[in-house]
Amino acid sequence: MEMSPFIVFMASIFTNNMILANFLGMCSFIAVSKEKSAAWGLGQAVTFVLTGTSVINYLVYHYVLVPYGLVYLRFIVFIILIAAFVQLVEMIIERYFPVLHLHLGIFLPLITVNCAVFGVSLFTVIRQYNLFQAAAFGFGSGVGWTMAIVALAGIRQKIKNAPLPKGLEGAGITLIITGIMALAFIGFSGIIHVQ
Amino acid sequence: MVTQIMPRNFLQRQKIMRKVLISLIPVILGGVYFFGLRLLLLLVVVTVAGIATEYLFARKRKAKVTEAVLVSSVLFTLSLPVSTPFWAAALGISFGIFFGKEVFGGFGHNVFNPAIVGRTFLLISFPGHLTAAWTRIFTTFPGGFIHYIAPPLDALTQATPLALFQTGETLPLSKVIVGNVFGSMGETSVILLLLGGIILLAGKAADWRLMLSPMLGFVGLTSVLKLAGVGGIPHPLYGLFTGGFFFLCIYFVTEPVTAPKTIPAKWLYGILIGVITVIIRYFGIFAEGASFALLIMNIFVPLLDDAVKSLQALRKKEAAA
Repeated sequence: MEMSPFIVFMASIFTNNMILANFLGMCSFIAVSKEKSAAWGLGQAVTFVLTGTSVINYLVYHYVLVPYGLVYLRFIVFIILIAAFVQLVEMIIERYFPVLHLHLGIFLPLITVNCAVFGVSLFTVIRQYNLFQAAAFGFGSGVGWTMAIVALAGIRQKIKNAPLPKGLEGAGITLIITGIMALAFIGFSGIIHVQ
Repeated sequence: MVTQIMPRNFLQRQKIMRKVLISLIPVILGGVYFFGLRLLLLLVVVTVAGIATEYLFARKRKAKVTEAVLVSSVLFTLSLPVSTPFWAAALGISFGIFFGKEVFGGFGHNVFNPAIVGRTFLLISFPGHLTAAWTRIFTTFPGGFIHYIAPPLDALTQATPLALFQTGETLPLSKVIVGNVFGSMGETSVILLLLGGIILLAGKAADWRLMLSPMLGFVGLTSVLKLAGVGGIPHPLYGLFTGGFFFLCIYFVTEPVTAPKTIPAKWLYGILIGVITVIIRYFGIFAEGASFALLIMNIFVPLLDDAVKSLQALRKKEAAA
């Protein structure tokens, strides 16, 4: 597919946002969006892991799985690579950047089970991206995810003292807000076609 | 007026909202003139549905129905084409009031503009009713005052000014300003909208910054694109005066609850609404991007306000140090 990595990057933020168009990575999106600072921290970590794993999974898929006819193992292999990458990143950060680890520490293990990370690796294969497109897609998806979760955290902090109906406090209102955000982002659809 | 018929303890009176309602009278009368008496019937249906939705929640909260719901209902009605089915209009306003306002705790707490939430929901759920079913307009007195509804347009041969533009045609600018164009009920006449805007500003019911900044963003980006030679971009003023953008600038962007509170954030909010409208209108699949642009910027209002506040705090600290 001929498309400049920059276009892929922009598309993955606006028209094909992981949260607001594909609804991937919802669990941590809802759980960690109470505070803006926590949301920002998790967003950074997700962006870093997404960029790294989309490149690694791309390389493994095209230089190991395809040549040896093991494509049917891609789900397991991708998950293992993501988990390994997150572990490795956590160890490295803990050893060499203790301040950053203090900041991101709790969020890193969460990312292993973030569907957006796995989704990006699979989309990379389905849409037949090349290496640069895959990297741009991973990075852009991370930026888009961060933008969405920080904005959601902003809204949730704004309505913290609002007299919400009892049954909607917490996850309920968060899902409604997410729905309206997705409604708004439909407006961007069609500006860039990535599929 | 509706407000006098209702018992005193049913409706919470809000001065600003009353002013907005008054400023909408010329727009409503203009809509009737151009499109026919069906507008009034739609207005009644939508207002009843809107009040009913709010009443369900207000009763639980032991609060009154606010006058703001009347404003939302009128604005929502005016943002529809005159041929919108009654059930669709009622559904749209109920959705907007329910999910855009009441679940957040009612007036003053909503993050998104209820009328726009309802309209966007209708637009993507029943696109045929909102984007294809346009009618002709009356151009001679007494116009729509003695007709139920304007005759339908032949959808295959005629379209709204925005859709027309995509086929390379434009209408004369003078026609666009007076309102001799078809489209949604409230958006046709720039002169009447301007009158409404002046009433709003004179009554201090709206902030001029919020009115002006989206237009600046819109005209600015369109001019830049036109100078850069991008194809398919109309004259900036033509784009400003056609479609629902002008209507949105005056009545929706200025809505005090969902707009930012700090002045720099207001400018940025407005300008970005204009910019996003241009992007969606001329590059996306929707002919009209204004309501999406507003909803998108509603998402970022808390962040804009926070950013401005922390910047101002930082500057104060530096000045003190």
